[in-house]
Amino acid sequence: MSRRYDPYDDRTQLARYIDRYPLSFKRTPLAPLVPRPLTLTERTGPAELDQRFQTGLMDLSKVAEDAPRATGQLIQISGRVTDEDGSPLAGAAIEIWQANSAGKYIHDADRHPAPIDPNFTGEGRLMTDAEGQFQFFSIKPGAYPVLESGWWWRPPHIHFSILGRSWMDRFVTQIFFPGEPLNETDLLLNAVPDRDVRERLIFQFEGTTMTEGASAGEVNAMQFRRDFVLRGRRRTPELD
Amino acid sequence: MPVSPYCTIGPFFPASFVEGHDDLTNYRGGTARGQHIALSGRVLQEGGDPTRNTILEIWQPDADGIFRHACDPRSSQADPGFAGWGRARTDAEGWYKIRTVVPGSYAAEDGSPRCPHANLMILAIGLTHRLVTTVFFADDPDAVRDPVLDCVDVVVRRRLFAKRENAGEYRFDLILRGESETPFFLD
Repeated sequence: MSRRYDPYDDRTQLARYIDRYPLSFKRTPLAPLVPRPLTLTERTGPAELDQRFQTGLMDLSKVAEDAPRATGQLIQISGRVTDEDGSPLAGAAIEIWQANSAGKYIHDADRHPAPIDPNFTGEGRLMTDAEGQFQFFSIKPGAYPVLESGWWWRPPHIHFSILGRSWMDRFVTQIFFPGEPLNETDLLLNAVPDRDVRERLIFQFEGTTMTEGASAGEVNAMQFRRDFVLRGRRRTPELD
Repeated sequence: MPVSPYCTIGPFFPASFVEGHDDLTNYRGGTARGQHIALSGRVLQEGGDPTRNTILEIWQPDADGIFRHACDPRSSQADPGFAGWGRARTDAEGWYKIRTVVPGSYAAEDGSPRCPHANLMILAIGLTHRLVTTVFFADDPDAVRDPVLDCVDVVVRRRLFAKRENAGEYRFDLILRGESETPFFLD
C-alpha cells in the first residue's frame, strides 16, 4: 500500500540553529533543502532488522541474567510506536543508549572523568511487538557536562533511534525526565517552539512498581512512558 | 497525530551499533551479486574541516535494482546475499567507507528508468535533524535524466555523482555547509 509522507512541519520540530550550540552553525546547510518526489528508494527500507540486530535485550541494568545490578535507580521504560494515523508500527527496530548513573557513557569520545559502571550495559536493541509496544529496564542516567562548552550540563536523558518501515520514517531523538532542574537550561530541550512539542521530548512518570523478572528478588522500579509518532499515514482514497 | 520531535544523535552513539554494518556485500551467509565496490569519502563542515564521529546510513537497491521490501513488486527476486542497508562512522579526518555493490536501475512510477543511486543520511552532533541526500553512479552525469536528480539545480547536480577513482573504488564527499556544499533534500 502506498503511503503519504509529508515533509516535517517545523512547528513540531527543534530549531536547526541553536544559540550557544556552535556546531549547528557549522553543519546546517546554507542552501535550501531541495523538494523531490518520493520514489521506491524512499518508500522502502530495511525490513528484516530483527535478523541482524540482537533482540530481546530488554535490561540495560545487568550485563547478564545472573549478574549484579548496576548502580542507581532502576527504571522501567515503556511506550508505543505509531504512525501519524495512530496505527501501531509492529516490528520497528529501536536502539537505545544512555549514560550511567554517574553521567558516563561507554564511548571513546566521552572524556568526562566519571566512572564507568562495569555492571551497566548502556545500550540495547529491541523490536516493537504487534501493537507497536516496547519495554525495557535500565538505570536512571546521570547529568553530565559538555566539556567544550564550559558551562552546559546535560540533564538526564535517554537516546532513541527507531527504524520504521521506510527511509522516510527513520527517526532519532533524546527523551528527558520530568521535573529535572537542568531541563530549564538545556539547549536542545529548549530549542522547540512551544510547550506541547517540549512535552513530547519528556517521559511521563507513571509511578513505581515492585517488579519481578528483572532480578532474583523483587525491586522497586520507577516507571516512565514515552510514545513515539513516526511520519507516515495512509493515502486518502481520492489520492490513490 | 503530530510527529515526534527529532533531536541530535549526539557524540556517543555506541560503537557496537555501527560495527559490522559497513559491508553490504555479505548478508546472512551469502555474497551479493554484481560489482562489489568501496564507496568512501569525507564528511566536511564549514571551512572544509572534517567532522569526526558522524554517523552515515545508506539504503539502496541490489545490483538488479530490487529492494527486499513489501513495497517492491519484485521483492521476491531480491538478492538474498545483499544487505541493502548499512551504517558507518567517520574517523578523525572525516573519512567513511562502505562496501557495497553498484546499484541497479529500476523503473520509476512513470516508467522512466531511475539512474543507479543510493540514499544517504547524515546524523551528527550539531544537527538537530538528519540530513538526507542521494549519490548517483553514472559514467556521463550530464546525460542523466532522473526524477529526483532533475529537482536539483543543474549548476550543482554534478556534486551528487560518485567519482570512480580506481576499479571498484568510488569517492563521494559530503560537504554539509559552505563552498561546494552538497545538495540535501527536503525531509
